[in-house]
Amino acid sequence: MKETPRTQGALFLTFAAFVSFAVIQASNQLAAARNGVIRGRVEVRRVVPQVERRPSVTDLGAPPARDVDDRLRSVVYLESAPRRAFDVDEGGHRVMDQRNETFVPHLLAIMTGTTVDFPNSDKFYHNVFSLSKPARFDLGRYSAGHSRSIRFDRPGIVRVFCDIHSHMSAFILVFGHPYFAVTDSQGRYHIDNVPPGNYGVIAWNEGNASDPKPVTVPDGGAAELDFALR
Amino acid sequence: MRLRAGLRVASMLVVVASAAEARAQTLPSEPIALADGRVTVGADVSATFGSRDPGFFNYTDYEHSALRLLRIDVSAAAKAGPHFTLLVEVRSENVDTLEAYALYARIRPWTGRDLDIQVGRIPPTFGAFARRAYPNDNPLIGYPLAYQYLTSLRPDALPASADELLQKRSLGWLVRYSVGAPGADRGVALVSAFRWDTGVQVHTKAGIVSATAAVTAGTVSNPRVSDDNGGRQLAGRLEVRPVSGLIAGASLARGSFVSDAAARSAVGDAATGESFAQTAWGADLEYSHAYYLVRLETIGSAWRVPTIRRPAIDEPLRAMSTSVEGRYKIVPGLYAAARLEHLGFSDLVGSTLTVPWDAPVTRVEVGTGYSIQRNLLLKVSYQHNSRDGGVLQRVEHVGAGQLVFWF
Repeated sequence: MKETPRTQGALFLTFAAFVSFAVIQASNQLAAARNGVIRGRVEVRRVVPQVERRPSVTDLGAPPARDVDDRLRSVVYLESAPRRAFDVDEGGHRVMDQRNETFVPHLLAIMTGTTVDFPNSDKFYHNVFSLSKPARFDLGRYSAGHSRSIRFDRPGIVRVFCDIHSHMSAFILVFGHPYFAVTDSQGRYHIDNVPPGNYGVIAWNEGNASDPKPVTVPDGGAAELDFALR
Repeated sequence: MRLRAGLRVASMLVVVASAAEARAQTLPSEPIALADGRVTVGADVSATFGSRDPGFFNYTDYEHSALRLLRIDVSAAAKAGPHFTLLVEVRSENVDTLEAYALYARIRPWTGRDLDIQVGRIPPTFGAFARRAYPNDNPLIGYPLAYQYLTSLRPDALPASADELLQKRSLGWLVRYSVGAPGADRGVALVSAFRWDTGVQVHTKAGIVSATAAVTAGTVSNPRVSDDNGGRQLAGRLEVRPVSGLIAGASLARGSFVSDAAARSAVGDAATGESFAQTAWGADLEYSHAYYLVRLETIGSAWRVPTIRRPAIDEPLRAMSTSVEGRYKIVPGLYAAARLEHLGFSDLVGSTLTVPWDAPVTRVEVGTGYSIQRNLLLKVSYQHNSRDGGVLQRVEHVGAGQLVFWF
């Protein structure tokens, strides 16, 4: 049969209708599927010690006492996520305080689009900055009771420092998807609302990342996954 | 000899720079902690290379220029409980000297009180700059004139008359006098940023005020490990921090300057250097906010030297330095800085003329710093130096680059 422009148009419309139907069916099925949970525990076998002050040879007296970073907490996250997950732009605010010459919390995990506030709760100046590729910023010096903010729009690992107190450091892990969790003080985590499917999961602590571990999230169920770092 | 030294520094700079760039992400960025954090070790390494300095504006002695220097500082603190810490810093300049720059014990008698006693080769009590003379803390490459520029005065050799002193104007980098030590050697800066004194220091803090007092063997311009004149220096500093970002300080020091040997050569065997003192005072102000920082420091010094022959030096030799320094962060990791300063001297009456006893110097330095990574900084600066008198080149333009690494 000789194809005319009219028959070509009809064929294209039929194909387009078929594809649309298939996509709608697939998305309905996906919507109908119930999200699951990944949970487990991260064991940090060798805790990275707190950064000590530089030897204060030039100081006229002993430096003041400071708090201890919580370096036991880790981040667990999906190596890859469903495409739709990246459309989410969380926005909102999180807080990283500066208290007794320590960033609190020492580790923050956020989604792109989140703004982090850095209040200064000490009696002296701090100067938060980062030279990390995902977010290069310098908030300048500001005093107690004041806060500066920065919005994180690119995923990646951001190391945060104070330009005045070189022993102050923190991590902000910025994700393009919502499938991550920070462990509690016991190392436990749970990542909620994960669409059913097969994933690679990574645990991260103080710059040390595990190899991806495969996991299958069942429809509406929970997958257990433990990690041991170092 | 100086050319060879310059080439050696240049080659070191190239090696350090390329190595640093190649390994920028693998170099240590935090102090090394041992024995559960009771021992910490840090380091400051800087490689500086500047253009020629025929006017000797930046020399710290005959062979060393502050602008052609590979400096390695390794410092360590060992804590033995809450009351006692031992601090040490070893410094090497151009890899040909190794010196214990600091070596002292810090004692905190009561843990609940801000009171510390430091004994040994201690940090300077006087002034503001000397404790931040590390390349990492200095936004520019050059040092302030008060802390680096060598006047024609020496503690171990003395001019016999005002005329002899006036002949040596601008020659502080290598000067010889007819009384005292016969050899040529460098003069002294108003306050030394390159050596620390030895003695006992007490520091306390209450609210916004902190106070420090020290008794040491040398003087601010001539810090010493062992005493050479039987006289001690008393130094004090008061610092107030009324609001965040504002620091106001005042310092005072007085100590015997002339060595016993030089005093005996000048006025007889019964003399000691004790009565020929250096008296110095200083005031400093620092204010910082957001992206800028401004520092102002003025230092005055008066040295009394023996009267030997006419025309006599019968008044104390005075010098005064004032510097204004600013730094502004342009974007993350990049800043611009500038310093304007003047070093002046009191008039001295000679046989034929009355002029400042050393040639006054004015310096303008502008520069920029770029952080390649947090603890790897590249600085570039330009200096304009001018000297009103003396026998050396009076106006000089100097450019310099410096790579700084610390952990």
